[in-house]
Amino acid sequence: MITFITRRVLYSIPVILVASFVLFWAVRATFDPLAKLRLAQDPTALAREVERLGLDRSIPEQYFLWLRSMVVGDWGTSTRTGTPVLPLIGEALWPTLQLAFWGLLIAILIAGGISVYSAVRRQYSLGDNLLTGASYLGIAMPAFWFGLILIQTFAVWPKEAFGLSEPPLYFIGLNSPGQTGMLDYIRHLILPVAALMIALVASWSRFGRAAMLDALSSDYVRTARAKGVPRRQVIWRHAVRNSLAPFVTVVALDAAILIGGLVVTEQIFAIPGMGRLFLQSLVAGDVFVLLPWMIVVAVAVVLCNLIADIAYAVLDPRVRLS
Amino acid sequence: MSKSLLRTAVPSSRPSRRGALAALTVAALIGSLAACSASPTPAETNEEVAVVDGGELVIGAEQEPDCADWIATCGGSIWGTYVMQIPTMPAVFETRLVDDEWVPQPSDLVTGEPTAEVAEDGTQTVTYDINPEAVWSDGEPITSADFAYTALQIRDGDDIFDKTGYDRITDVDVSDPQKAVVTLDSAFAGWRTLFSVYGIMPAHILEGQDRGAMMADGYDFSGGPWKIEKWTRGTSVTLVPNENYWGEKPHLDKVTFLFLPDTTAAFQALKSGQVSVLAPTPQLDALTQIEAGLPGVKSQVDARSGNLEAIWLNNAAAPFDSVAVRQALAYSIDRDAIVKRLFGSLGIDKAQQSFNSPMVAPFASDDFSQYTLDLDKVDELMKGDGWKKNGDGVWAKSGETATFSIKTLAGNKRRDLTVQVLQSQLADAGFEMTIDQVTPADLFGTIAPEGDFQAGIWALVDTFPDPTLSATFSSVNIPSEANGFSGINFYRADIPGLDDLLTQVDSEIDTDARIAASHEGDALIAENVPSLPLDAVPNVLLWSEKVGGPLQINPIEGPFWNLAEWGLAG
Repeated sequence: MITFITRRVLYSIPVILVASFVLFWAVRATFDPLAKLRLAQDPTALAREVERLGLDRSIPEQYFLWLRSMVVGDWGTSTRTGTPVLPLIGEALWPTLQLAFWGLLIAILIAGGISVYSAVRRQYSLGDNLLTGASYLGIAMPAFWFGLILIQTFAVWPKEAFGLSEPPLYFIGLNSPGQTGMLDYIRHLILPVAALMIALVASWSRFGRAAMLDALSSDYVRTARAKGVPRRQVIWRHAVRNSLAPFVTVVALDAAILIGGLVVTEQIFAIPGMGRLFLQSLVAGDVFVLLPWMIVVAVAVVLCNLIADIAYAVLDPRVRLS
Repeated sequence: MSKSLLRTAVPSSRPSRRGALAALTVAALIGSLAACSASPTPAETNEEVAVVDGGELVIGAEQEPDCADWIATCGGSIWGTYVMQIPTMPAVFETRLVDDEWVPQPSDLVTGEPTAEVAEDGTQTVTYDINPEAVWSDGEPITSADFAYTALQIRDGDDIFDKTGYDRITDVDVSDPQKAVVTLDSAFAGWRTLFSVYGIMPAHILEGQDRGAMMADGYDFSGGPWKIEKWTRGTSVTLVPNENYWGEKPHLDKVTFLFLPDTTAAFQALKSGQVSVLAPTPQLDALTQIEAGLPGVKSQVDARSGNLEAIWLNNAAAPFDSVAVRQALAYSIDRDAIVKRLFGSLGIDKAQQSFNSPMVAPFASDDFSQYTLDLDKVDELMKGDGWKKNGDGVWAKSGETATFSIKTLAGNKRRDLTVQVLQSQLADAGFEMTIDQVTPADLFGTIAPEGDFQAGIWALVDTFPDPTLSATFSSVNIPSEANGFSGINFYRADIPGLDDLLTQVDSEIDTDARIAASHEGDALIAENVPSLPLDAVPNVLLWSEKVGGPLQINPIEGPFWNLAEWGLAG
């Protein structure tokens, strides 16, 4: 197992390097890092920056200069804020990770529960059909619209209808100003997490249901049943365990995408995470933030794939043998 | 005349811009000239509510500043000025309401009105007598050394947002700590902007340090009623009272500004009580929300604004290279109807009649009021210029039709509506207008500077109450290869006699003469119709009933200018 993990980790390094070079090349080809400086029409300052950033060199040379700086922790300075990029991304990553963690955890539990329920109960029963319909609705519903519905239903309407001094659930940021309590945190977390996980629950429950149905109709389940293994044990020890492997892969891939893709949720709920940082940097043409941002997301994708591979190997020993 | 950043072409209705304290040489004439300006809309609800001491408020802020180094380019956000700069940076002039006009008044940083004198050799000297009670939040007195430090940082610094005026400073005499004597190499009519727009920075803290690095993420010093307690990037800024402020202390214990760039979320936050005050941009979605009603929310709307939207015509491109065609276009449009359609729900239905915005109302005439919808006049002007209507009812001349495209910014719903109404009105008058949506980067980066357009709709923003038509209409500010494509006279306006008048407005110290020259210039502009002013985008302030105090929009210093007087309703 250690050899397997080591090999997978070593494979990831060239993948990250290639991805970073492609991203570097793409960003250099589409954004002018000196656009803001050019507006000032100061040839001396312009020449100084060209030399400092090595912009007069070839793309591979520029890439290695940039990579060297990244590795030693010098991620450059944001042209938008005039502050170092590393802490900017670090500060944005933390709220996103919190949101992603709770969103994924709760979505996994709910989608897993729905998958098992839908597959184990009679297929096409009323309950199965209702859950299927709800899943399609969840997949089709735009995140921003669902977010606004949640805000209206759980924050605005109760306050107006019952004359409350404050709403039951909050929707701005992850804490009220000056508050650090757990209750306040939970009241802030519920709505964005709900908005975030609706599409995940919908799609994962469909996927999990299919995986469970596959497992339940497989030979080893039939054999177990024939041998008189109790139904509960057949479901949980055989069917669920075997349907987990493909399920984990889908979850891991979606999780990686989620790190970079929280733009809508973070915008609606005013959460200062990676999504908002991306939007702000894109609007400002702040290439010095955009590039490291993309690298962080690329690393997250590779990391999540790695976790999926390892999880797959744990759940299915044949993967290690192959 | 040089390019000035005091007036800026902007992509949206609430742009990043340098906020302003005060700087106008018109105080004495405001009363007599107020009638020339666009009349302000009376406040809907601004009666003062008694307040109690103590408590906290949470306020929604539309934009987060990129940095808090106010003199640097990254500090150009007006919201940064509203929420941090004005509450913390001492300034010489502040804008206050006198006889129903907002005018610059000496602040309590100085003992009285500074004196400005022009010597025979043309140099100008401004003397500031500093209030001996004025201290920084650490107890150190505010002295002439702070004036000198600020002046030199702006004059000699790199990456400075705007050096106008400071670039003329040759000396700051600091021999008396209570008196700063500033010498400029030539007369500067806008001298009141000095040490007012940016405020004063503390030399004893910043001298010899990396100012940009120390201030970028906020700072712990203050020379105003508030101190920055905490700036959490992406989330909020919290202010607390400055215990060493020598003036009136704030009633509230704490004020937090939450950054809410999404209009819908901001309104939901106000309705749910998560924020108590909003100052939204009057985009269509905001107007819809206001029209729909906000229970328990009071409001004020004020048309006095420096944010001027207009139809910009390229005077060097057909068909607008003809004065007659430009005049005919002006008679083809019912501008009042457009303004009413846009802002009628806020009680605003009169078009802007000058390119001098309501913020510099005394300098503005109403010469454009002659251009009202008059299709007979259109016929007369067009026929007089050799045009005839073709079978489609469109004016035609020498094989060309009066067809043009108008550039507008994609995603701005208010302007989308404006150009749709325009298209319909112009079709009735025999003009064929197509709509071309572009990005801000394309429009202000290439299209406008290179004159690659026939017409466009965008806003110009006056960033403090001083007339800036020279930046807009002087021929030397037409972008060209010769001047490195600088200047914002994108419309290639070159009106004989206008340059001299606008130069006089820029440099004349005598207020009467300045205003007279400005009015002459306004008349010349209206006669030639280089472009057509539409409306000043109004300011809106909304607050919940729990907030008390004298809430009122200040068109220069923004909605939070008197935050120290706010409190929880008693």
